[in-house]
Amino acid sequence: MAFQFEPSVVIDTLPMLMRGVWYTIYLTVGGLFFGFLLGVATGLMKLARPFLVRKLADLYVELVRGTPMLVQAMFLYYGVPMAVGLRIPPLIAGVIVIAINSGAYIAEIVRGAIQSINVGQTEAGRSIGLTRAQTMRYIIWPQAFKRMIPPLGNQFIISLKDTSLLMVIGVGELLRTGQEIVAVNFRAFEVYMAVAMVYLVMTMSISKALKILENRLINKTSGKRA
Amino acid sequence: MIEIKNLHKKFGDLEVLKGVNLTVASGEVVCIIGPSGSGKSTVLRCINRLETPTAGTVIVDGHDIMDPRTDINYVRTEAGMVFQQFNLFPHMSVLDNVILGPLKVRRMPRAEAEHLGYDLLAKVGLGSKAQAYPEQLSGGQKQRVAIARALALQPKVILFDEPTSALDPELVGEVLEVMKKLAAEGMTMIVVTHEMGFAREVADRVIFIDEGVIQEVNSPKEFFSNPENPRLRDFLGKIVGK
Repeated sequence: MAFQFEPSVVIDTLPMLMRGVWYTIYLTVGGLFFGFLLGVATGLMKLARPFLVRKLADLYVELVRGTPMLVQAMFLYYGVPMAVGLRIPPLIAGVIVIAINSGAYIAEIVRGAIQSINVGQTEAGRSIGLTRAQTMRYIIWPQAFKRMIPPLGNQFIISLKDTSLLMVIGVGELLRTGQEIVAVNFRAFEVYMAVAMVYLVMTMSISKALKILENRLINKTSGKRA
Repeated sequence: MIEIKNLHKKFGDLEVLKGVNLTVASGEVVCIIGPSGSGKSTVLRCINRLETPTAGTVIVDGHDIMDPRTDINYVRTEAGMVFQQFNLFPHMSVLDNVILGPLKVRRMPRAEAEHLGYDLLAKVGLGSKAQAYPEQLSGGQKQRVAIARALALQPKVILFDEPTSALDPELVGEVLEVMKKLAAEGMTMIVVTHEMGFAREVADRVIFIDEGVIQEVNSPKEFFSNPENPRLRDFLGKIVGK
């Protein structure tokens, strides 16, 4: 039997994917929200003075960066409950995995952006009597944040796509929803094409949103490059 | 006003300052000159502890900057600094650059701070640039904003770290004019500079630093016309020769 592409199946599949889309959005937004907080905290810890604080941040980043996210997800969902006797709902586990994972990469983005700001800015801030924290808040962070936007966009897109891995712990996100549809209609070509299209629309939305944010911040300082 | 005793500073194995002693009285203008790498900027940066001295004492208006009980942030408001590279905050308007210190350090109400900011910008000849951003200004204008920013905390002394060295030659004059005005008003100033004309005209004393120690301190007249130290004679010879 020759393969016959059915465009109508792609169209019909799209609404059926909506439930999965919501899960994927939930995982991405929730995971990145906590991931961003974790990343900023860890990035600042990496720049802190106490040795132990820096090492702690390094250890976290190394552990996460050095292991596959798929393994982290399975360890958290299947492994950890065996040790603590407490089962985490798949969706919560998924958000945690995305947060922990993106947090490590965002930490590096934050650290790099802050370190890229000329040391003269810190000196100027301290020379007018600002504390370290005030200098960070009013002088370094606003400038560094602008530089973080492009790499953050990258990370947001990676994390969005990584949510598809969470199907292995039973989260009914976009890819898993597609897989379930295929199990019924066997139209793998059309269904996974529809799934891919939905991912593409979501990643392109992130790119666009961050581009708008970046332009706004740039316009605020009248054409100042980051 | 400022008392530096036996100041030493090491960067790793490199000893940049090898026992500097200097007292600056209130209202005095002291110019520091010397070859590059001689440690002249380091002396300045040790006064407000942007660099931590390795040994020695620095007293600023009665505050020992090495004493752990000293609030260094307070001392820094008493000793303003103007940098070679201006170091204006690029994400803030000129006015916000000037009033950040009064707002956040002095906790001055915004209206009052803005009033002060406009006054200071007018003083440095930039009253019309308050809403501009640093990147829209020339180097000379940037440095005048930086001076206004330092003045905004009403410091007792201003430390100038080669304030005109990064400027195009035609912009040097406007910055020196502002500095002369400050000197005439009785501001205590320590100026690391290569502008011999300025030192000769404005300074009460001129200091020559080389190899991490003060080699000569003298009135500008004696300093330039009758230098005693052979290194200074050599240094001045090279500059005049240019």
